[in-house]
Amino acid sequence: MVFVKDCTVKFMFQTLKLVLPALIPSWRFFDTIAPSPRIEFSLIKNKKTPVRNWKIFRPRPVTISFFNMMTRMVWNPRWNDNLFLVSCAERLMQKPTEHSYQEILNRIQADIKESDGFSFVQFRLIFTHREEEILKESETFLSDIHEIHKGEYL
Amino acid sequence: MSFDLAIRLTEILLAWAFIQQSAEHIRGSKVDRIIFIPRLILSVVLMVGVQTQWVCLLLCVVGLFILKRFQGPYNGGSDRMSHLILWCVSLSYFMPTQEWKEYIFGYLAVQLILSYLIAGWVKIINPEWRNGRALQDVFQFSTYPVSENLRGLAHWPRLLFFMSWAVMIFELCFPFSLLTQTTLMIGLCVATLFHLANACLFGFNRFFWIWLAAYPSIIWLQDRLF
Repeated sequence: MVFVKDCTVKFMFQTLKLVLPALIPSWRFFDTIAPSPRIEFSLIKNKKTPVRNWKIFRPRPVTISFFNMMTRMVWNPRWNDNLFLVSCAERLMQKPTEHSYQEILNRIQADIKESDGFSFVQFRLIFTHREEEILKESETFLSDIHEIHKGEYL
Repeated sequence: MSFDLAIRLTEILLAWAFIQQSAEHIRGSKVDRIIFIPRLILSVVLMVGVQTQWVCLLLCVVGLFILKRFQGPYNGGSDRMSHLILWCVSLSYFMPTQEWKEYIFGYLAVQLILSYLIAGWVKIINPEWRNGRALQDVFQFSTYPVSENLRGLAHWPRLLFFMSWAVMIFELCFPFSLLTQTTLMIGLCVATLFHLANACLFGFNRFFWIWLAAYPSIIWLQDRLF
């Protein structure tokens, strides 16, 4: 009975923690321009002696036509998913959780179309920030090496 | 605008925003489909206007699953506004008196005003926003510009300085638009253009639709107060 009560209280507390920021929002949009995350991944052949060739995960297009901009008003799933991945990357730095880690890894796995003899995958986070007039990049997170599950989105 | 009409318009616009959001998730993972297909169906029912109070309540429950699924909002502010509108409309149905219904719906209108006012305030107290540097950083290295070509705007400091001040002045002046119905309509038109620009430049399409859904509340509040 005590266990059930504890679980209920825990559930209520967790629910409130998720709902309250929506009901009493802060609305502090773009108050400061924080260091900006970029996700990179590398396919790896040998886990013991990994050779890495980092690629940007889902690079943005060079240009977007006006027509595409308009269609994206109603259909923009890829970009919105990328925005969620930015949140996951920021969460990994502020308060690391398995959830954020898996959300990034799952999407990388799902986007691998051809593995070309590679058996493993790894990702890293690069944060860009400005110091005076110079842009600086730093690797702030390196994942474990995982087996490739091509095209699998759990 | 009458209270009932404002609530109904909010429901229709909210339903459209939810249909748009949910459709984007359907090609996602299996878990996403389990959550978002029912949400899509409920949103269609909400738009049609059948048993809206119970549909809203069910959408609140689905909303909890979404928050749990993504361990918080999926798309930051747009998700927060989505939950806020839905909870305010739902709660207003279950309030015992008309006065309390209006307090709840009025709270939504106040939050809409705050969404512009606070966003403007946190910018204007930051010197980097006042000199245009912050917006330059947004285009130069943030993750938001939708194409690489847009990063070129970072090389237009004067334009960005003007844009920064235009955004801050609009956001801070928005509450004054409540003074008359005409100024409010002008304010809402400018706000719509602002969200359209954000959608085009930064891909914030969900913000555009969900903020529109909150506009009937402020039109009703202005009518009620002045």
